[in-house]
Amino acid sequence: MLQYTLRRLASAVILMLFVSFVAFALVFTAGDPAASIAGEGGTAADAERIRSVYGFDRPLVLQYASWLGRVLQGDLGQSIYFNQPVTSILIERFQATMLLGVLALCFALLLAIPLGIAAGRWPNSIVDRVALLFAVVGQAMPTFWFALLLIILFSVTFPILPTSGGETWRHMILPTIVLGYFAAPAIMRLTRSGMIAALETDFIRTARAMGIPSSKILSSYALRNALLPVVSLAAAQFGFMLAGSVVVESVFAIHGAGRLVWESILRSDLPTIQALVLCFSMFYVVLTLVADIINAWLDPRIRDA
Amino acid sequence: MDSMLLDIEKLNVTIDTAAGPLKAVQNVSLRVAKGETFCIVGESGCGKSITALSLMGLMPKRAKRRAERMMFDGTDMTTLGESGMRRLRGNRISMIFQEPMTSLNPVFTIGQQLTDVMRAHSRVSLAEARERAAFLLNKVGITNARERLGQFPHELSGGLRQRVMIAMALMCSPDLMIADEPTTALDVTIQAELLRLLRDLQQEFEMGLVLITHDLGIVSRIADRIAVMYAGQIVEDGTADEIFGNPLHPYTQGLIACIPSPDHPRMQHLPSIPGTVPPLIGGLKGCHFRERCPYAMPSCMEEIELKGHEAAHRYRCILPAQTSAAHAKMAQGEQVHA
Repeated sequence: MLQYTLRRLASAVILMLFVSFVAFALVFTAGDPAASIAGEGGTAADAERIRSVYGFDRPLVLQYASWLGRVLQGDLGQSIYFNQPVTSILIERFQATMLLGVLALCFALLLAIPLGIAAGRWPNSIVDRVALLFAVVGQAMPTFWFALLLIILFSVTFPILPTSGGETWRHMILPTIVLGYFAAPAIMRLTRSGMIAALETDFIRTARAMGIPSSKILSSYALRNALLPVVSLAAAQFGFMLAGSVVVESVFAIHGAGRLVWESILRSDLPTIQALVLCFSMFYVVLTLVADIINAWLDPRIRDA
Repeated sequence: MDSMLLDIEKLNVTIDTAAGPLKAVQNVSLRVAKGETFCIVGESGCGKSITALSLMGLMPKRAKRRAERMMFDGTDMTTLGESGMRRLRGNRISMIFQEPMTSLNPVFTIGQQLTDVMRAHSRVSLAEARERAAFLLNKVGITNARERLGQFPHELSGGLRQRVMIAMALMCSPDLMIADEPTTALDVTIQAELLRLLRDLQQEFEMGLVLITHDLGIVSRIADRIAVMYAGQIVEDGTADEIFGNPLHPYTQGLIACIPSPDHPRMQHLPSIPGTVPPLIGGLKGCHFRERCPYAMPSCMEEIELKGHEAAHRYRCILPAQTSAAHAKMAQGEQVHA
């Protein structure tokens, strides 16, 4: 297990380096960064001055090396719009996004996994039908619309929850439900199909022939096998919830990283965009790593592979 | 008949299929005494496995079981219900299967799976259960039993996994073990070893053993009593000596003629029974074997009951016993002289 973890860790580091280069190079693919910083009214001389101040005139590899060196020290550069270190802006914004993402993931898992187990245990039953309906609705409904519906219901018709903002835990309830419900159907369907497949295996027949109680067969013998693909999916969903929470953050006016992405693109705040791209890709790398390690812990065959 | 461990009367299993009901098991009656080895023989698809699974109450979802009597050691199994059956399974009746590669849970250690069986049926500490598991792994011929407890199924070979399955089936010292083709998926050398092991364990633990197989070679070495199944029915049953010495049903005669023997001339076609097991959907009339039977006649269309003496030898054929016996002699003669 330790050996597997170290091996996965090493490949994750290599992947991170590669991703960081792509994130770095992204700035140069969008056009001349100096020109876009100088803005529409900037002259050629302005651009030239910016080029030497920011070091855009040096060879790309050198720029990357010095940028990477600063990133490793926690310096992601200076935001052009806020005129503040990007690092401190990101820390502030990611707190809200992380909190929302973690809450939404927990909500999605708590909703989807028990429902998936029940649907897989009794396929084509009423439970299964209800779960399917829930999944179809969840996947078909746009998040912004669902968010607005909830606001109308719980903040306007029955004013029990705040409409927007992210200051207290009560502010987080509706965004959590919206974002979590969006991620739940896929997890639920995968749990269901995993359970159906697991319950038909020879080793479940063995467990039944040995008189293992059916509750234990369901919750342990079958579930552990059914969850393997669910772990990978949940990790990807979590990454998506972090990066894709723009809509939810906008509707509920939460100052999170998702919203910052959108704002920064509008403002052509290159250092901030670059830092956000880097952070989100790092999250994906870390999440995949964590998912792989959880799977290796669940399934010994992966460890030895 | 009170000393009977297993007493099944007229067991029927019907499976609902898209094409109609499939009568997988029809009026199967069998009795297994304590400590006896009872073999169920027949080709694939003749209902052996489904018979075994329905004894355990483990039929597929769409299968329905009906029986006049299903007694296990004085308990009526038809009245037990799922929770009662669960307490019997793995505890007093256990079962091992054909596929050692897939019959163990890949994500739990051998030790966990063995101890779970014991702890599902009795209040024992984990340490005691592990003690028992190590003892049994040793018993089934696995070295370094203690280390094996920490291993996962994929770290063991097929033969070892089947030994683990046997140990698992023995965890609660059952009175009856059902073995469904336990050696079919294994190498020939390992087959013989495992068979010997099963026989030794059966004597040591004083278990009844129901062995399901298509391999008459295995049966001849281990069986006390035999039931030959064909297309969902028992076509002949009796003591091993009777079945091998005096087979009366043409199907049994055919099966015995198909056993390759060393005095059989080389480069000659091995004998086989022409045709295949008929589909069981919709139900068959008359003798199920008649389409493949060399002695079929018009009256084979009638329903035929098992005849003969139950304890010694019964068969399901309209031919008188003398005629059948003469056929058997002829068939053997043909095999030697051909």
